[in-house]
Amino acid sequence: MTQQLLNAIFIGSIYALFAVGYTLVFGVLDVLNLAHSAVFMLGAVITYSLVAIHGLPFIVAAVVAVFICGLLGLLIEFVALRPLRRRNAPPISALISTIGLALIFVAIVEQATPGTLFSWLWQDGANSVRFPSGAVPDPTYHIAGVTLEGTKLGILVTSILLMLVLGYVIRYTQVGRALRAVAENRRAATLLGIDVDRIFASTLFVSSALGGLAGLLFGLALSDISPYIGRDQVELKGLAVIVLGGMGSIPGAVVGGYLLGLIEVVAFVRFGSNVEAGVAFAALFLMLVVRPQGLFGARLKERL
Amino acid sequence: MDFFILLFTDPVRFYNSHELLIAQIGVNAILAISLFVTFYSGQLTLANAGFMAVGAYTTVIMSLYLPLPLPVDILTGTLLAGAVGFLVGLPVLRLRGIFLAIATIGFVEALRLGVILNVPITGEGQGLKNPGADPLGGIVPILVSLPIIAYLVWRLTRAKLGHAWAAIREDELAASSNGINVALYKMLAFVIGALLAGYAGALETHINFFVDPTEYSVTRAIQILTFAVAGGTTNVLGPIVGALFLTSLPEIIRQASAYRDVVNGVILILVIIFRPQGIVAGGGFAIHRPHWWPVNWRLGGRTASTG
Amino acid sequence: MGALLQLAEVRRHFGGVQAVDGVSLEIESGTIFGLIGPNGAGKTTLVNLVTGYIPAQSGSIRLGGDGGAAELARRRPDVIARMGVARTFQTLRLYRNLTAFDNVLVGMHARRKHDTLQQIAPLPAFQHEPRARLAKASALLERVGLKPDEYGMRRAGTLSYGDQRRLEVARALAIEPRLLILDEPAAGMNPVEKDKVRDLIRQLNADGLTILLIDHDMRLVMGVCNRIAVLNFGRKIADGSPAEVSADPEVITAYLGRQAEKSGAHVPGAGATTIATADRHGSRAGAAAKPSGRMLEVSNLEVAYGAIRAVREVSFGIDEGEIIALIGANGAGKTTILNTLSGILRPRAGSARFLDIDLTVTSPDRIVRHGLVQVPEGREVLARLTVRENLELGAWVRRDRQAVHREIDALSSRFPILGRRRDLPAGQLSGGEQQILAIARGLLAKPKLLLLDEPSLGLAPQMVDAVFDVIRQIHEEGTTILLVEQNALRALEVADRAYVVETGRILLSGTGAELRRDPAVQKAYLGG
Repeated sequence: MTQQLLNAIFIGSIYALFAVGYTLVFGVLDVLNLAHSAVFMLGAVITYSLVAIHGLPFIVAAVVAVFICGLLGLLIEFVALRPLRRRNAPPISALISTIGLALIFVAIVEQATPGTLFSWLWQDGANSVRFPSGAVPDPTYHIAGVTLEGTKLGILVTSILLMLVLGYVIRYTQVGRALRAVAENRRAATLLGIDVDRIFASTLFVSSALGGLAGLLFGLALSDISPYIGRDQVELKGLAVIVLGGMGSIPGAVVGGYLLGLIEVVAFVRFGSNVEAGVAFAALFLMLVVRPQGLFGARLKERL
Repeated sequence: MDFFILLFTDPVRFYNSHELLIAQIGVNAILAISLFVTFYSGQLTLANAGFMAVGAYTTVIMSLYLPLPLPVDILTGTLLAGAVGFLVGLPVLRLRGIFLAIATIGFVEALRLGVILNVPITGEGQGLKNPGADPLGGIVPILVSLPIIAYLVWRLTRAKLGHAWAAIREDELAASSNGINVALYKMLAFVIGALLAGYAGALETHINFFVDPTEYSVTRAIQILTFAVAGGTTNVLGPIVGALFLTSLPEIIRQASAYRDVVNGVILILVIIFRPQGIVAGGGFAIHRPHWWPVNWRLGGRTASTG
Repeated sequence: MGALLQLAEVRRHFGGVQAVDGVSLEIESGTIFGLIGPNGAGKTTLVNLVTGYIPAQSGSIRLGGDGGAAELARRRPDVIARMGVARTFQTLRLYRNLTAFDNVLVGMHARRKHDTLQQIAPLPAFQHEPRARLAKASALLERVGLKPDEYGMRRAGTLSYGDQRRLEVARALAIEPRLLILDEPAAGMNPVEKDKVRDLIRQLNADGLTILLIDHDMRLVMGVCNRIAVLNFGRKIADGSPAEVSADPEVITAYLGRQAEKSGAHVPGAGATTIATADRHGSRAGAAAKPSGRMLEVSNLEVAYGAIRAVREVSFGIDEGEIIALIGANGAGKTTILNTLSGILRPRAGSARFLDIDLTVTSPDRIVRHGLVQVPEGREVLARLTVRENLELGAWVRRDRQAVHREIDALSSRFPILGRRRDLPAGQLSGGEQQILAIARGLLAKPKLLLLDEPSLGLAPQMVDAVFDVIRQIHEEGTTILLVEQNALRALEVADRAYVVETGRILLSGTGAELRRDPAVQKAYLGG
């Protein structure tokens, strides 16, 4: 049982990391970035590529990959989001353009086999791989009858640390206030002298870096790296998490992530894996019906 | 290229060799119209993939186990989809905007993962074999239904119902003050969309020998959404054009390279940036003057003057 | 004639706040009833209770008339509308993308039969219904003063502000109501337009319609209502004829402020139409050392939205230390000019130079850094952030954190509101308090030129006094100000020079005093 609990906490950390990036963009920028799951996938793919194909040590590869994912966030901003803002496009357009970008990212990896255009990045096409054994330090500890893998511990610690830092920045620094200002009223923020474009770009950088990190941690701990891990594993669950926690709320994303991890593990233990898969969505549906603003979200009231 | 050459030089042979594609375009068009109906009333839902599944599975299961004629099966599938639409609509209709979209995503995935994959009669993960399918004949109901549906939906938007939908889309609160029962009309749009999606799902199974549960996922729903938005959501023609364009594109590109999804993605982005109103709607291209572009140099198109 | 609408002990609270606290009143059939009170007094909440948008927690709301009274409380808005209660909205809720005709046609929804089958088979025999509807819509547009041929097919969003307000009334009339509720129908209009609104209200009433009017403009309310109720903090503090209410001391303290003393013209029957104002310029002793340079130079500015030219051939200048006013009706282009100066909009032609930068090509954040700061229309405080956080963000462009903190403390002691409420979300402040917060926030950016957009909009007369005092103070301390106001009287009292803007052009310019005396200005903007 404790083992399962630990599993829940650990998978919850990954969900939480992913969701924080998601909700950051949604809360601040009012944009549902559907390319986020593709960046999650690329985080794993790029790290794998650097380790398995180009021989870099794991930690270095991870840091580089996270940085590259941040840059991908900038790509998303410049290609899919900024042109739409400039043209005052309706919010649904951002949905579509990020979907388009996600399609491109996934297709590139899917088609990459030895001898093709992108074989420097990936050579396994649509298959799933794992990090080569020995490439990643993975000490295991046995305490009180429970097995703690070093990697999973590292994931937990990293996640919590990052989320604390982010929370602090948002609540107590001037930059965090500027972010909240942009989230609430873009025009008023502009008139205060806040460079809204810069805020968008920075937010997307941070969000995508977090997403990429979540992806590589996922690939590491679950030994599953493929072009589809974004779509199958987190894309929709990420939505469930931010709905549970409250859209636009960072503490909500964190709590929601762990909550979902817990719900899934409980469902798996009690009902088996078939139900586990659908449980995230049942929870999502229920939350939206009972309390649409989630656990921590603010109620949206329209002024008459 | 040979795709177009064949299309224009020998339409009959083109038709015969691309029947499945044309049938698929037809089904996608009806699906896109089902989305159009809800969109017209201001609701963004992705639930039609789920309603499709209801229509599809009901029809095939009935045809496998009951000795009723096919049209009855299709009708039942459609009506059942509508009923499910009503049940789903009850709790979710008071949600607005993106929350509604997400709730419908929840429904679709819960349906697929929770029900379809777990109930033996649906064949679970393996899907259902449908020996009664008729790929060649099955295209006829599709090609006949499409114009009829398009016409009906068009006329609906001109009727009292359509005007109420337009008002709700523009401003729900004002619509109430004009005596419009917002909840009722929203539900009507939702159910009509569900009926259409269920019908499309039923028709689609008729041209395939196999019902595949992965077809009825959020990915499919998003695909349909892109048809509707890229085609244009201001009138019925938009979703049809969108479905036509984006369904046939992968086929055309297939001949050229394996990267058709990449091209799909690129085209999607280009359309939504430069023609956000969709292909069919009026209004020209959206061109933006960068803030450092000197004021007095003219730019073509519909210049947006905001910085 | 009996009472058409009867409210008895209506109560509604939100959290700990009693928004409507036991209000009872009666509206006689065929009369015009006014509802006034400070911002946050509960007027719009009361309207929302009557029209069903918010459920009342206790009390009754009865709609009378022949056939007996019906209870409105806790019914749905569309049901209440169909029972004969129509309304317009304080924030103007038109169907912007639909044509004017369509807006009115939607208004007729309740009276229209379902025609799905007729639409599916559009035979000539079925055409006569739509034609009749269109004719009725045209008649309604005419009734509110919009020519159907000119305005009918135009998209509602493209109409001028005054016309949009009128369209909303036409749409409300389409349901053939027994009671028409007008929520601030004349907000943002100049006196000439307000007179037209007053005439329309009188005319509709003469045709038999009972009207409930909510507005801040005393001249309008006192001039047209048979009876007035005054709300304050959710309670009714007065209920009587206009003369009774305007003489009521409690009403004067709570709401009317110095305006009541100044403007005898606001009470019908009080005679004098000249408005005596103290000439404030004499008291501006300290502002001696006269202007150095030109701070702002705008020349031949043209700004367009698509095909509509909102601003044309606008040229003006501001010297250091001045306070300049732009007056004109809503929709005249004043806010467009300000937004162009702030870099949010780009002009199609013309130039605007501020100190040494070209405003037409500089990004908005750099413009603020250079010292051109705007306090936008509607205040736009960040409601979810605290008062303190709002102030800190005001200093976003500055690097000297120590000085900023000192200044925030100084501002908090000068404007006690900011100190007392510093940790409350800014959204909980009243309109006037938010305006003061917005101005303080603007000051923290150390502006060389401060743009104030409609600081008095939507504020009760008493708060307007407070805000203009603040404006005067900061000007005396040396800030150069460009003030945009539809309250021309207050603006001209306080300005050195002013420009009159109408339909995107500058019509007149002169000193504040000159324009106050100008007969054309008096007629159009000062109410004669």
